[in-house]
Amino acid sequence: MNSAVPLITLKGISKVYMRGKSRVAALDGVDLEVPERGMTAIVGPSGSGKSSLLHVMGAMDRPTSGTVRVAGQDLNSLQEHALTPFRRDTIGFVFQSFNLVPNLSAVENVMLPLEFAGIRAEERRERAQHLLSRVGLAERATHRPGELSGGEQQRVAIARALANNPRLILADEPTGNLDSKTGQTIFEILKDIAKDRTVIVVTHAEALAATADRVMKMRDGRIENSAR
Amino acid sequence: MNPLYFGLRNLSRGRGRFAVVTLLVGIAFFLLLVTQGIRGAVESYTGQLKQTVDNSLQVRARGSMGHVNMKGNDQILPQPFLEKVRVLPHVAKVEPYLLGMSPTTGHNFAMHVGLVPGDAMRLESHGEAGNPRIIAGRGLRAEDAGKDVGVIGQRYASIVGITPETLGRATLTIDLTRTHPVIFALDRPKRTIRIVGIYASGYVFGDTQLFMPLDTFRDIYGVKEGISWLFIRATSSDHVAELERKLREMFREAADIIAPTAAAEFERETTAAVLTLSHVGSALAAALAAVVTFFVMLLVVRQRAREIGTLKAIGAGNGYVVAAFLTEGVMLSLAGVIVGAALFVAVGASAAEQVFAIGLTPFLAPQYQDTLAPTLTFAARLDGPAIAALAIAGVAVAIIGSIFGVLRIVRLSPLEAMRHE
Repeated sequence: MNSAVPLITLKGISKVYMRGKSRVAALDGVDLEVPERGMTAIVGPSGSGKSSLLHVMGAMDRPTSGTVRVAGQDLNSLQEHALTPFRRDTIGFVFQSFNLVPNLSAVENVMLPLEFAGIRAEERRERAQHLLSRVGLAERATHRPGELSGGEQQRVAIARALANNPRLILADEPTGNLDSKTGQTIFEILKDIAKDRTVIVVTHAEALAATADRVMKMRDGRIENSAR
Repeated sequence: MNPLYFGLRNLSRGRGRFAVVTLLVGIAFFLLLVTQGIRGAVESYTGQLKQTVDNSLQVRARGSMGHVNMKGNDQILPQPFLEKVRVLPHVAKVEPYLLGMSPTTGHNFAMHVGLVPGDAMRLESHGEAGNPRIIAGRGLRAEDAGKDVGVIGQRYASIVGITPETLGRATLTIDLTRTHPVIFALDRPKRTIRIVGIYASGYVFGDTQLFMPLDTFRDIYGVKEGISWLFIRATSSDHVAELERKLREMFREAADIIAPTAAAEFERETTAAVLTLSHVGSALAAALAAVVTFFVMLLVVRQRAREIGTLKAIGAGNGYVVAAFLTEGVMLSLAGVIVGAALFVAVGASAAEQVFAIGLTPFLAPQYQDTLAPTLTFAARLDGPAIAALAIAGVAVAIIGSIFGVLRIVRLSPLEAMRHE
């Protein structure tokens, strides 16, 4: 893999919403390159466009204009049905409110993306157990989300995001629903993951963001500055 | 985890949710079964009514009473009409009768009626003659055809000295050579017949008759062909008017036709109104059940839009999501259908009576409105296959509701799906 080629390239990205009769520009001509590996933190005030940018990068949403290239794939050219396998194989998502399936156990939640990828049942369970061990939840594998703390649920979500060994992990406010100590633990796990893949984290916690490899500040739908 | 198992696992997400959904679908299905049961019962009852009300049309030679030896009234219908009538559409039964008169000692005369054994003993009536019932001995049977046997009215029996105690050995000699101011003599040999039964009608004139097999009558009176009266029973009151029209076309000026057309029309209109009411009720219940089931399933899916968005974000294909939610919808609706069917089996009959009484009460006179429900005995008619068919229809609606809901969401991007909730 050529590390000189950025994993993500955004050119002239804008995203416009209509709120009633008002036109709201969530993203306003964003140009961005994110290299392979390492953690990038995106910070900024509410409504600055952080999450919108993350959603565009993760093929969760389409830009109003501009081009998106992720892992060598031009996302503008892909139909919705083709985006599903792309997301499954290339991207892992971590959500603020965890978004685990409540009636499945921790290990079954982690196994889901593997099922979607067509991995055999035995291998699914083995790999899911391994990932739960990696986030320190081997003993809690059979518990349902309702039986886990917020930090534990987010660790299950991280394990799920890693299930198909994606090149890119996108985390939208992963510490937003957690206390500061737990949030720090989650951030450390993500930083550890970022050693061998790209992790992009949207966060309000600037102190945690400062420990990332790169920090981007956003305001009014634009990248205000980018620091290493 | 395959999507079917995923969908089945979703049933255990919350007992409260499962109970509410099952109960909503179950109650809607129960009401559907009740109204369908009422509809079935009303159709069955009105069907029976149409067959059992007086649907008989009477035909006799025009201007004649049809008595073969009565002065000025001895015209009878030609025999070929009988076969033509038998093949008319909507004819359930044709009953031919021959009538004659016999002078009696100590009295004016008695009426003699020849009929096919087993057919109704119809009284020669100049008004209300009542219905004859056997009070001693027996009526005529099929095996009496062609035999010299008869069933006599109680007054006639009294005139000729026959009592219940003498039945079996009692005989009556018919002498047609005698005359009377309204009867002309027939040159026929005397004939003695054995009396096997006595009937009573509660009407003096009606009780002065003698019923005998039709062939016996022909022999005694020397009438080889022809019919005094034809009673033609229509298959249903719906066809009385049509049958009357066809008979008039067939007989033209040859016969008088007496038809209960007005009564049949009244019955037809009344039962049609009741049927329409029950059909409207069952259609409304079907629509209500469909709407409730559809929207419950739609809501079940829409409540989970965030989950669908998440599943898509982590790589689930649309087919997986649709199959999973469809499985859940089918199982939820099946549970509801089972609850509804169980309720119907347990309390469906009394519920049908109550619902039918409520539906009918506004159409009743005030004095009957309070008393109908407690006195009504009404058996809802719905068999197993009909319940199964309705259950399949209910599950089909649930499938449509689930598919409609889930397709609307899976077509969205994961982000839009999450926001859809």
